[in-house]
Amino acid sequence: MTPPAESIFRVFHLSLLGCAALLVPSEPRGEWCREWQAELWQVCQERTPAGGFSWHGEREVVEFCLGAFQDAFFLRKRGWQDRSPFTEMRGSAAQCILILAAVSCACYAVALLSPRVRIERSLSEYQVYPGLVLIQDTDFNGHSLPAITPAQYRVWTASRQKYFDRLAFYRVALEPVSVTPHASKTWEVARASSNLFAMLNVPVQFAAPVGRADRDLTSVILSYSAWKREFGGDPQIVGSIMRVGSCKARIAGVAPEGSWRLPGKVDAWLLEPDSSFAHGSAGYVVAHLTSLGQSELWTSSVQITSYNSDDTEDSLLGISLDPGSSTPGAVFLFAVFLAILALPGTVSVSMGEYSFSAHPQSWSKKLCRWGFLGVKIALLLPIAYFASLDLTYSFTTIYSPASVMIHLFISFTICILGFRWAVLDQRQRCPICLRRVAHPAQVGYSSQNFLAWNGTELICESGHTLLHIPGLETSWFSTQRWLYLDTSWEFLFAGSGK
Amino acid sequence: MATEVKLSHTAAIILQAIDAGFVYGFSIMEMAGLPSGTVYPAMRRLEREELICSRWEKQSIADAEQRPARKYYKLTAAGKMTLESSRKRYPLLERLIPSEEAKSV
Repeated sequence: MTPPAESIFRVFHLSLLGCAALLVPSEPRGEWCREWQAELWQVCQERTPAGGFSWHGEREVVEFCLGAFQDAFFLRKRGWQDRSPFTEMRGSAAQCILILAAVSCACYAVALLSPRVRIERSLSEYQVYPGLVLIQDTDFNGHSLPAITPAQYRVWTASRQKYFDRLAFYRVALEPVSVTPHASKTWEVARASSNLFAMLNVPVQFAAPVGRADRDLTSVILSYSAWKREFGGDPQIVGSIMRVGSCKARIAGVAPEGSWRLPGKVDAWLLEPDSSFAHGSAGYVVAHLTSLGQSELWTSSVQITSYNSDDTEDSLLGISLDPGSSTPGAVFLFAVFLAILALPGTVSVSMGEYSFSAHPQSWSKKLCRWGFLGVKIALLLPIAYFASLDLTYSFTTIYSPASVMIHLFISFTICILGFRWAVLDQRQRCPICLRRVAHPAQVGYSSQNFLAWNGTELICESGHTLLHIPGLETSWFSTQRWLYLDTSWEFLFAGSGK
Repeated sequence: MATEVKLSHTAAIILQAIDAGFVYGFSIMEMAGLPSGTVYPAMRRLEREELICSRWEKQSIADAEQRPARKYYKLTAAGKMTLESSRKRYPLLERLIPSEEAKSV
């Protein structure tokens, strides 16, 4: 080798060692570098010809230097373990369960602290009545537009309906609102049928009893955001009088945060009798289907034909308000189902319990092993559920179709990765003590695959078993095998050296 | 402790190599036929378990031979007992690395 080329390779070798040294804890780093540099000198002497050049030799020297990374990583890992108060528990089943339980609690705590997740979870407790639909135009293509005129609504309520037993109307418009005589603002006000909230089954917060003097006043319900914004979240405001448009209204309560799922952004709902909707712009109708009507509701929508007095027909669409399969729980269960179906495609579901000899295992050990797998999966499920909620609602709004899809995707991803980890982890746990086997050692060479086995050997730190994982699968050694270090140990090697 | 320790093949081979006179990292690698990434971490473990101990060669000896000073390893008393126990478990160990070989080199 020419002197400049030799120098370049030496610098490269030392750079590799220098990079590996960064992984070594600072205390033993000096001695570690000194030893590896001394060994490198020896390897260079043995592998590279003096005054010549050999690619093969250089490759061997580089391979030697790359081994320094494994050594450095080992020392780093040992440094962490020495500082850990749970050294004795390291790799044990108890440690695994404790970590999973801690992660599960952390995910739950984050879900409790996340406002959007809290709203989603609290509102999922309010059951939407089955068969509740929002009636709108058939030209609906993702954007709802008010299509029902007050006159049409009055005709519906006045006539006997075969498919509906309850109806409510609302329309949203900008209206001047004043709480004090001299302060007026413009709000998005929904003028709605007085039975709207009862039909939606939305509980009104801070609802105050109506006094005798206020009995004739119209009720107004504030949205949670308007209540916070305009009144600083003061519950004492309930019961006071405000002016909405041209009429006086009594504040009857506050709608829970995020409870409004229908079209239109609303600051307040003015609940009026149906007779007041004689004229004005079009709005939406919320209807409850009779059992006959519900039998027509095959999917999330139903076609509705309205017959007018002049013998014309209006084609309308009823969109179901029942979240049904799109609740977070239902979405998560579907994701778990998909993950279970997909699991065999990502990892072999075998538990890898093959051994070199017939080693009978007691039922209690087998039960412990399967029970441990069951506990791991049971702890993974809440982690996946709460973590997927945390991630979904950290960058989407509640009730959006996107949030359902994102929740499904994240839940599926966490479940499939979690189940895969649970199976792979199970395979590397000693069948006797459930402790993870450790200290991997590469044995044999791939080039000698047909002469002797090559692969990775791991040992149970409690001394129960050895695990052999083949590097290349062969017809005679295709899956991992356990070697029990008790009776079979003597049987396998007895007499071979004597 | 020593007689109770159950060693992996790798650890037993390294102990046997050191006992056979291959007392620094590269020579152990050469004799055991194992890569550096396996041998050195295994030696750290054995040293931690006090089955082997290490010392640095005197600088004057290294200077006389015009090379860097080596770190030499040797078996402790516990290591010798463990090796004896391992030889019973791995009868092929002595055939693989006979002590005489080192002495004859």
